[in-house]
Amino acid sequence: MNLINYGEKFFDELEIHVLRRREIGAKAELNQISSSSSSDLSMAVIRGVKDSRVGISVVDTDNEERIKEGIETAYKLSRINEKDENWPGFPEKQNYMGKSVNAYEPEDADHYVNTLTLSLKDISEKKRDAMVVGAEMGTVWYKSRLMNSNGIDVEQSDFLSYYVLVMMARYGEKVTPSIFDMDVQKKGELNTERVVDSCLKKLELAKDVKKADSGEGKVIFEPFALAEILQFSLYPSFNGEREVKGTSILSGKIGEKVMSDKVTIEDDPFHEESLSKIIADDEGVATRRNTIIEKGVFKGFLWDHYWAKIHGENSTGNGVRSFRTGSMGIGPHNMVFKEGNRKLEDMIGEIDRGYLVSSFQGAHSSNPDTGSISAVANPAFIIEDGEITGSTVFMVSGNIYDLLNNVEEISDELRPVYMMGRGLYPHVLFDKVKIAPVSR
Amino acid sequence: MVVVLMDIHEAVKYGEKLGGDYVEIRYEEINRSNIELKDGVFHSLAERKSKGYAVRVLSRGAWGFATTNKDLKRAVEDACNLAISSSRAVRDRIELAEIPANKDRVKSKMKIKPQDVDYEDKAKHVRRLEKLLKSKYYVKSSQVRYEDAHGKKILVTNEGTEIEWDINYILQYIWITGKDGNERGAARNMIGNVDKGWELFEEEKFSPEHVADELHRKLYNQMHGIAVRRGEFPIVAGPIIVGIIAHEALGHLAEADLTINSPFRDLIGKQIAPEFVSMSDRIVEGGFGNNMYDDEGTPIKDVHIIKDGILNEIMLNREYAKKWDMEPNGHARAEDYSYPPIIRMRNTVFEKGDHSLEEMVEDIKFGYYLVDFRGGQAELNSSFQVGVQEGYVIENGEIGEPIKDTSISGIAIETLKNIEAVGKDFDIEYGICGKGQSAFVSSGGPHMKIMKSITVGGEK
Repeated sequence: MNLINYGEKFFDELEIHVLRRREIGAKAELNQISSSSSSDLSMAVIRGVKDSRVGISVVDTDNEERIKEGIETAYKLSRINEKDENWPGFPEKQNYMGKSVNAYEPEDADHYVNTLTLSLKDISEKKRDAMVVGAEMGTVWYKSRLMNSNGIDVEQSDFLSYYVLVMMARYGEKVTPSIFDMDVQKKGELNTERVVDSCLKKLELAKDVKKADSGEGKVIFEPFALAEILQFSLYPSFNGEREVKGTSILSGKIGEKVMSDKVTIEDDPFHEESLSKIIADDEGVATRRNTIIEKGVFKGFLWDHYWAKIHGENSTGNGVRSFRTGSMGIGPHNMVFKEGNRKLEDMIGEIDRGYLVSSFQGAHSSNPDTGSISAVANPAFIIEDGEITGSTVFMVSGNIYDLLNNVEEISDELRPVYMMGRGLYPHVLFDKVKIAPVSR
Repeated sequence: MVVVLMDIHEAVKYGEKLGGDYVEIRYEEINRSNIELKDGVFHSLAERKSKGYAVRVLSRGAWGFATTNKDLKRAVEDACNLAISSSRAVRDRIELAEIPANKDRVKSKMKIKPQDVDYEDKAKHVRRLEKLLKSKYYVKSSQVRYEDAHGKKILVTNEGTEIEWDINYILQYIWITGKDGNERGAARNMIGNVDKGWELFEEEKFSPEHVADELHRKLYNQMHGIAVRRGEFPIVAGPIIVGIIAHEALGHLAEADLTINSPFRDLIGKQIAPEFVSMSDRIVEGGFGNNMYDDEGTPIKDVHIIKDGILNEIMLNREYAKKWDMEPNGHARAEDYSYPPIIRMRNTVFEKGDHSLEEMVEDIKFGYYLVDFRGGQAELNSSFQVGVQEGYVIENGEIGEPIKDTSISGIAIETLKNIEAVGKDFDIEYGICGKGQSAFVSSGGPHMKIMKSITVGGEK
């Protein structure tokens, strides 16, 4: 029996979102393979509305009978809920930009064990004192189907492969920070050698720990560090719900210049290198490329269906569901911080004294309502006379908008970032960054 | 439940037959209530029913792990094959420290369990909280999230361990955003408990009125606080900040899988702090990390990480206990059936000393009194960061104006040496720690004075 038809016995309208996720991979720690793992999990979220009262149920299954039980649970909860006088209904049928169906062709565990083993061998041959704190290699695949009583019925499936490497070394009593890099691929082989070489190079540079200056200085954020900071201090301001409530620092600023004209930020699931090539968001609304910042000018907020309708707009296809609670929120799919035209080597080469930051500690303690940041650059490296001469740890403080007004250079190459939301980021050189030393 | 147990026992035997030297199956069947009230609208009034298996197999010195909410037999086959596949590449075989085969039923200590409270009453509680939060003109937006759970967890191993838990917890998270003129701010509060049920909200400290008052003070002070000076300053940290330093700066380094690659590795048995400093990961009254057994079935023991200034013990699972030639102490924890257990903290606290807050503040010419946190993070080189959402200036021995939000950082092994005084009070807070997977934790301690080695982030 059609589940939507079944649900319509209870609700005026409803939505069913079924997700299946499979993953297989291998892990290493302490310089050797430690485990292999697989997962095969399904979930379904039912969101139903009766008399403008919403009820939600989440079940860890794609079994039809249990989804029906979930429909009944959601109905009971909707009876308890209060009327949402602003309920705009579910989205109507959409025109999608093509199909997003990629068949899953998993390798078996031996493939990941063997590839990871070769990579570990590569590490030990190149640097005997390097310690692999943790490494993970695998493929994750998902398939989702979103249906609603307005006729939306969209299926998507996709997969990606990843290699994450975390290393450290001891030099006498000194312990380096954990050095991290990763490769993510939607097609083709993982570039394990690039990941290994990148980590080993930084590990060597981390040998000499120096004290950072106190004051203001030039700092290059690597792609991951940039994504970390923006994720917690800037992106929440793009959320349309905050615009409705007047709590975004960007409220009332559409069309205004809010940061350096060197900065362009788009949410673009269709970018050639996108790690999230989805055609529909979690409400079934067609996704699109949304330009949020164009040459420093704020162009507009991201919306899901609910908040867009309340604000008299259309969804930008940015409805994102929490499968933990079933509730909807607004979020990007594939943030692209547009590349510039400088070679990273040239950017470093022109700095007399400055810093290169690989990652931040505490980016998540930024204040999304004020844009205030106070995070620790670690691992970070000192640049002296155009060369990296050692590692350091320092605090970066200030406000994200001040920081983004002081963009000096942007590299010409984008790197995929998978762990701080999905996106593509360049290296960015900021000037007048407020810093205070932490390592002595 | 009898049928499930039989299935699990059969599956464990099947795992042995397929070559598992150690076979462990964890089954969970948990119902969660989720309520999310944002500015007058319940965006989530939801129930989540989850049911699934975690199968972990050690074969020929390597792990295989499979998780499923579909087919247990298939998951056992997968886990065995995965372990065998891994074992072909293993140089040093993984071994487990021995534990007795424990058979037990862990009952909940809750007086009023979440499932005995009507959804309407839960929604009413959340609505009341929102009303109190919105009672101040400067609160522009509020988000109240409530979650509870009830259900069963069963652990069966081929060594004879069979433990069944009556799982219950309560979790409440609030975020408010404020605007007063041109000043903006935000404040958070979190409450979590596994031992106290709905009766928790009858305690003054957790009552909606008290929670709202605390949040109003934090938000108002943040909006009207002064900008912080950037650099190294003396600090007096309140119990919540002390707790998060215990967790981030030291606790993570004392998790054996991280200890092995941290500066702590070579410091066990050595003096690393003044002798009046002691720190533990232990069972605490009301601790969010409390339990009787870990997810390998090891009884939980208090771990006295720093005892009289000496780095004394670390937190272990069975694998790392064997590596370190120590006794397992019950710190293998898994977020849920979709994860294997890894070494985690529970309730990490500094122990009490004998100073009053006034004594700690009186000789500080300029510094900061730091009260509450927003996030924190540790690193292997013992660098730590703690976000601060409530703090005050200390000037000429007195606590003065509030400050805007900031963060502090230091190198833990240096900071420890610079602890000057430990207070005679004690309190804890509640959090969710992320280390690839989530774990409910508490952290806390008394007030503490640190004169050097703390860098404060600031705009000035």
